[in-house]
Amino acid sequence: MNSETCLSCEGIERYLGEEEERVHALRGVSLDIEPGSVHAVVGPSGCGKSSLLYILGLLDLPDAGRVSIESEPVSELSDDELAQRRSKFIGFIFQFHFLMEDFTAQENVMIPMRKLGQLSDNEMRERATILLEAVGLGDKLHRPSRHLSGGEQQRVAIARSLANDPRVILADEPTGNLDTANSERAFELLQNIVQQGGKALLLATHNPAIAEACDWIHEMKDGRIIASHPRGTRSSIS
Amino acid sequence: MTPPLYIALRFLTHRKRALLLSLSGVVFGVAIFICTQAQTQGFSNYFINSTIGSNGALVIKSRFRPRYEPLMVSAKGSKGTVGPRVYFEGITNANEIMRVSRQFSNVVSCSPVLRGTVSARAGFENATVELYGIDPALHAQTTDILHQLIDGNFDDFRNNTSSIIIGSRLAELLQAGVGDTVQLLAPNGEYWRFTIAATARTGIGSIDATRVYSHARIAQALLQQPSGASMVIYKLRNPNRAPALARHFEALFQHGATSWQDREESTLQLFLTLRMSVAITVSLIILLAGFGIFNVLTMSVLAKIKEIAILRSMGYRRFDISLIFLWQGAVIAAVGSVLGCLLGALMTWGVSHIPIRIRGLLYTNYFLVTWDWRHYVFATLLAILAVFIASYVPARRAAQLPPVVTIRGSR
Repeated sequence: MNSETCLSCEGIERYLGEEEERVHALRGVSLDIEPGSVHAVVGPSGCGKSSLLYILGLLDLPDAGRVSIESEPVSELSDDELAQRRSKFIGFIFQFHFLMEDFTAQENVMIPMRKLGQLSDNEMRERATILLEAVGLGDKLHRPSRHLSGGEQQRVAIARSLANDPRVILADEPTGNLDTANSERAFELLQNIVQQGGKALLLATHNPAIAEACDWIHEMKDGRIIASHPRGTRSSIS
Repeated sequence: MTPPLYIALRFLTHRKRALLLSLSGVVFGVAIFICTQAQTQGFSNYFINSTIGSNGALVIKSRFRPRYEPLMVSAKGSKGTVGPRVYFEGITNANEIMRVSRQFSNVVSCSPVLRGTVSARAGFENATVELYGIDPALHAQTTDILHQLIDGNFDDFRNNTSSIIIGSRLAELLQAGVGDTVQLLAPNGEYWRFTIAATARTGIGSIDATRVYSHARIAQALLQQPSGASMVIYKLRNPNRAPALARHFEALFQHGATSWQDREESTLQLFLTLRMSVAITVSLIILLAGFGIFNVLTMSVLAKIKEIAILRSMGYRRFDISLIFLWQGAVIAAVGSVLGCLLGALMTWGVSHIPIRIRGLLYTNYFLVTWDWRHYVFATLLAILAVFIASYVPARRAAQLPPVVTIRGSR
């Protein structure tokens, strides 16, 4: 494990389901993610991309192996401690944006800040405004999220993932539900944020164009990372 | 404001219909509980105040033969049971008993009474009455007779030994009023004539239909009683401690002593049973409200599975998720209890103004209510308990939901 990694995993094993339906979702996956880098995980559906993201995001626990945040192993931490690490170090973006429908765009972005509890109400509001302006939604702060378009909702989700200034952003097919124009826009936005903020981005994607634009591409198949390539060293992505 | 409380309020205010449904259950449950308790306790308290105000909180009656049971040896073959007490009618040393008992801190005042049953006649009407021979001054200190007079004057009675005070229902029965003459039949068959100085209403039907007060000496002569008193009645500072004082007086004076609780046991039990029955019924209403809240919150958990997963992914702990649903219950309980208490007070006030003509066990023209803060506290506690139980299960269930399963399922 590189000493500069902000998030890493080693020998991750994960089984899903019970008894006859039990699936070996991850088979000894190891990965190091450095600050300022963008990693893409690609592979066919069901290859274990999302499972890996959930384990790296401390939402799920591996059956074997170790996850470390800034060299600190977290696999043995309690549920509350994991939640605290999640709140502070990790920002999540999901394919279906997962916004709180009854909340406005600004309130959605403020939810992670409320949990972290480091800012006053005014400061939270101000930061949410800045983040939403950064994703081009400065004029829709007070619009309920259910009244935003799919692309706008995904941009709110991106702003929300940055609310607590996390070291790592994990994105599970963040553009999978968007048209081409919106996909490109969302990805550019994420790239800029990573480069400007010195953060790490790990995204699972089916979009070859997006994967090619990442610093690293990790190919997964049947629960394993079968190949990892730096940008530009791989000919094509299926 | 903590994040779980903030989110709980947002969840609640966005489901207004469910919120109103839950709130109305608690509000009406609490209000009905308060109102029914105020009524049942109102009648009960009225009876207690009336009986204590008329017959005293404690009564000392006939002397009994002292028994030295610890020194007794049971006869061979006997089961060792002791026979009934032997009483001697009347109190011969009433003044001495009163002098000693006045030294007890709980005793406010006491009054000797000579009691007997005689026939009364006024015009063509006859009735069997309970004659109470009293010392007017002492009796006025010990009972509420001054407040019970509805017609006439107590001073007229005090200053005229051939006058009497009669119960209001007895006056109606005899068709006699203040200034009229009533004849009481002495045991020797002789009629004694009295003038009605006043009529009194205690509010208890059985007393108002039979009670006649006369001066003690006149009563003693009429009843031909050797002793000046057949009982001593007491006014106590704390009537609730009457049973303990009664036991003490029995041991001290060797006279039978009865507290108002023992004297009115059957009636009090009737009121208690009624109150408990109503309380149980209304508690079921509150529990039903709790069941409604359980359903609403369970539905809310099911509707918010996605939001719960989002919150968990953003670092909210299981406990925070539980708190969101417990806070919803707490807000419903708090707002419901406050509104329920206000509505309960309003309903109690309204009920107390409903005209009702009761002329049986009690005398009243309106529903009797008691304003007791404990009803409000108990109703609130009951609502909080019911809502907490109703919220706990959905809250726990919400906390146990694995976020990954929801997120995977939404793909």
